[in-house]
Amino acid sequence: MNKSAKIQSQKNGANSQTLQTMRKVEPYIWLLPSIILMCCMIMIPIVNVFRASVTEITKVGVYKEFNGLANYASILKEQTFWNTLQNTLIWTVVVVGVSTVFGFILALVLNVEFKGRKFVRALIVFPWATALIIQSVVWKYIINADYGALNALLYNLGIIDKYVNWTATPGAFFAWECFIGIFVTIPFVTFCVLSGLQSIDTSLYEACDMDGANFFQKLFKVTLPLVMPSLTVSTVLNIIYVFNSFPIVWTISKGDPADQTHTLVTYLYDLSFSNGKFGEAAAVSVIGFVILAVCASIYMIMTLRAERED
Amino acid sequence: MKKIVSVLLILAMVLSLAACGGGETGGKVTLDVIISQYGNYTQAWWTEFEKDFEAANTDIDLNVEIVSWNDIYSVVTTRISNNEQPDILNISGFADYVASDLLMPAEEYVSEATKENFIDSFWESNEMDGTVWALPILASCRALFVNTELLEGAGIAAAPTTWDEVLTACEAIKTTYGDSIIPWGLDISTDEGQAAFSYYTWNFGGGFVDEEGNWALNSAENVEAVEFIKTLIDKGYCNSAPYTDTRYPLQDAFSAGTLAMMIGPMNMISADSTVQYEAVNIPGLGIGLGVCDQLMTFKDPKAEEADPARTEAITKFYDAFYECETYSGYMVYEGFLPATEDASENLSKNAEKYTVGGDSGATGSSEYFATFCATLPTCSFYPMQKAEWMDVRNGVIDVEQKVCQGLTTAQEALDALQAQVSG
Repeated sequence: MNKSAKIQSQKNGANSQTLQTMRKVEPYIWLLPSIILMCCMIMIPIVNVFRASVTEITKVGVYKEFNGLANYASILKEQTFWNTLQNTLIWTVVVVGVSTVFGFILALVLNVEFKGRKFVRALIVFPWATALIIQSVVWKYIINADYGALNALLYNLGIIDKYVNWTATPGAFFAWECFIGIFVTIPFVTFCVLSGLQSIDTSLYEACDMDGANFFQKLFKVTLPLVMPSLTVSTVLNIIYVFNSFPIVWTISKGDPADQTHTLVTYLYDLSFSNGKFGEAAAVSVIGFVILAVCASIYMIMTLRAERED
Repeated sequence: MKKIVSVLLILAMVLSLAACGGGETGGKVTLDVIISQYGNYTQAWWTEFEKDFEAANTDIDLNVEIVSWNDIYSVVTTRISNNEQPDILNISGFADYVASDLLMPAEEYVSEATKENFIDSFWESNEMDGTVWALPILASCRALFVNTELLEGAGIAAAPTTWDEVLTACEAIKTTYGDSIIPWGLDISTDEGQAAFSYYTWNFGGGFVDEEGNWALNSAENVEAVEFIKTLIDKGYCNSAPYTDTRYPLQDAFSAGTLAMMIGPMNMISADSTVQYEAVNIPGLGIGLGVCDQLMTFKDPKAEEADPARTEAITKFYDAFYECETYSGYMVYEGFLPATEDASENLSKNAEKYTVGGDSGATGSSEYFATFCATLPTCSFYPMQKAEWMDVRNGVIDVEQKVCQGLTTAQEALDALQAQVSG
């Protein structure tokens, strides 16, 4: 090999090395804007909330000095916090649980061929497609005892002979909030499950039929295991959405009467913007974040493990 | 080509970021003003004011932002947290801003003529520790509104003047009209539950503070007043959801003729209402609630010492706003009472010269202003100048809700609140 060919070969080697390095780096360069955006929009607020939770903040939002765990201690000794935590757990379990069951059943129904199926599918999307705040306001007017549509309807139909106060107690308020939460969450579960159902090979059901399996055997041995990934995704997302849901509770009751219908999110909003307790509100936010992270992780791990074992 | 586009984009970004800054730009002083939204047409009035003010003061760039009452506290707090407070703010309550050392004393920026023009009681109502920290922007007073037609139909000849008469009237209305008419409007929601506390406690002889100005929340009169509120609910005399109903749906119900009595502001009746009503003193001692919102000036967060050019611009802003014609026009436009001497006098005689906000073309009524301006001195105001006011405000709402839900007694709840505030 003469000298110039050797140099050319070295050059080619260097070029190919640069190309290889570039190829390795290139995806990260493309990802960089998203990473920067995520840092700005997600990480910085999270870090700020953690910082606020260990800082003394005045009622108008001026940051003072580091105060350790004083905000956490102040919150944990409040009875309202513990009531709110209990409400949040009930709210999440009831809304996610009931909407998952009903959403699953509805998906099974919608997976069967029948006349008008497309129309029904479109109809079911409505509660999900409409803004939560609008739905909440509408429901607030429907259930109002004095001028609400529900009383007027029942009265005119002769079902009730005098107007009923549907929100007489905090429990009644909270039950309505759960009902509205379920109503708006069902479509999401339905469509997640429906997408899973449609990916199941029909030959599996044919094989079951040949083996003489009944409806429930097919449901528990074929359908459920195969839609489990879709169900897992919808449940985890629902836990996060419902746990952090603000519009329904805030619009219907603002956490009242006497702070008895708060969930953690409305409670921390009320603490910060109505009571000027920003440090305590940040502490509640951190507690909620930790609870949610732990619950979602446990659920994911358990489900993935179960799937692997299967 | 790509490089040129990139450079242009970066330049655009830098320029837009630079434009976000306040202070002095291009030799002009920039004033950021946040105004509370009093009605559907607030924005239109301030847009006009901004245009006229900038035409008359070419060295000042005025930016007026209208924010709804629902959002204003969160908007302002968020801006303060980011060190981006406005120069001038219109809100209700100033003690917390003073406590955080954010405000300029009013004497530093108000011209002598403007200061002299304020009605004394309003000017003094913004005093805290011997310093006036804010300026009264407007006032309103609350009275008892009764639907005379409904009362007469129920056999009640005159509006109630005592709390016992209120109960009698409510019972008569309930018996006569059943579910179709709500006898008494009550709002003990977090929105304005402190107003309800004021109406009842003041007129039972109690209130927030004693004669020395110390908190006196657990007085016997206050206990009696809170128990009365509970009676109204327990007997089914008021709207079904007083914990969440704000006064706005109640005002609508009164204007529509489905609510017989409620305590509310003087401008609460909607323009298209046909109900026969009268506004009378609140039963009991006849003490009305006076509401006075403020304009306050923030220190410049970016400067150690007050910039004379900024202070001068602020002075010009207030002089322009409180100028008799402009200020009188704004009061009629929004339907509130003025806090200055010359505007009070002017509107008591010439309110018809000014137009009410909206497309109706309606004008002000001199009789209305003369009546309500005369009522203002008999009104009591919230003790907003006390540093604990926000805690007390939220505390009394909590007391009302807990007592009315039967979770505790009025005495226990008020004792606990008094201990918390005093401790």
